[in-house]
Amino acid sequence: MQDDTQGRNETVLLVAAQDTPDTRTRDLANALEQKSALLHEVDHRVKNNLQLITSLLRLQARRSRDPAVQKALTGAQERINAVATVHRRLYRGEDVELFDVAAFVEDLVADVIGGSGRRDVRIRLSLEPVDLPAARAAPLALLINELLVNTLHHAFPGGRAGLIIVAVRREGAGFAVEIADNGVGSGTPAAAPGFGGTIVSLLCGQLGARCETTDAQPGVRTVIRFPASGLS
Amino acid sequence: MASPGPLNILVVEDEVLLAAALAFLIEEAGCHEVGHAMSSDEALAMATELRPDLALVDVHLRDGPTGIDLARTIANDCGGVALFMTANAKRLPDDFAGACGVIGKPYSEHGVKMALRYLDVCLREGRAPGLPPAGLQLAPAWADRWGLGDLPRTA
Repeated sequence: MQDDTQGRNETVLLVAAQDTPDTRTRDLANALEQKSALLHEVDHRVKNNLQLITSLLRLQARRSRDPAVQKALTGAQERINAVATVHRRLYRGEDVELFDVAAFVEDLVADVIGGSGRRDVRIRLSLEPVDLPAARAAPLALLINELLVNTLHHAFPGGRAGLIIVAVRREGAGFAVEIADNGVGSGTPAAAPGFGGTIVSLLCGQLGARCETTDAQPGVRTVIRFPASGLS
Repeated sequence: MASPGPLNILVVEDEVLLAAALAFLIEEAGCHEVGHAMSSDEALAMATELRPDLALVDVHLRDGPTGIDLARTIANDCGGVALFMTANAKRLPDDFAGACGVIGKPYSEHGVKMALRYLDVCLREGRAPGLPPAGLQLAPAWADRWGLGDLPRTA
């Protein structure tokens, strides 16, 4: 009986000794360090796996002799690349929660236009700083990618030269992305039928955004408006 | 100084599918892949024997996170130039272990091709043709050497 009480007192003393401010600070610091290392490891793995996926699509596209298959695989590769562009930007700065839309658009436009080899298509960027919660970055990236790729494929057929204007601007508490061209005009609206159009309409729904395509004479203008309510 | 003809490139990467896709990009950028190593030992032997103009080095190789030491050895003992290709760009030492810069993963095909063409000019002429393309970050020492001085080292 007496031994039992003694044992319990010893336990209490032991807990008290462990719980000094110094040891608690050290434990917290260790826990934080472990968590940072884990975040870094996950980030590293995500980035490597995205690279692996694009490499696979690239290799398979090269192997195929069917133009339709090549086109589909290249489209998939472009979409994965848009998501990869997001991850290249994420966790680069100190803020892991926010995503710099303007910087991303600059990267993506350089990749999409540069990768297309269309030197006859010029780009004008007009980018205001807009921050987006990181969790919304990938759907936004895919949305902008669809509009850009669609404009590039349809606005300037037969090697026609032209200009694409990409703008990001704040609107009230939300923001808008605008893609305008001086190409061959409507009949090929940005939210065209087909898989690309489906992606645009699904993602607009997810992000609470409204997509509006108008005949800009010349060319086509598409504006996607993101109200503040869809951004949190 | 780079050899005449296409830039000779050694790929040091333990993910074989990445290396296979990268090989096509290297050729499309007008360069020539002289070899592919998966571990630091293999890479060192190839760098010594093949004397590539540029070694593309991942930080994590088959024998562990040995890419940084490998880049330093290539720079110090082989007289070569290394360029990191890694998802770990933030963890590189401040002096880039003697490497000329880093391309962060996930890279885009266009980004890699632009970077290789840019480095081709830098290595041949000893001078940068302008600011590095998006996706390529130069090491401070190499940016100085190629005449970029105090200019920003990324686009």
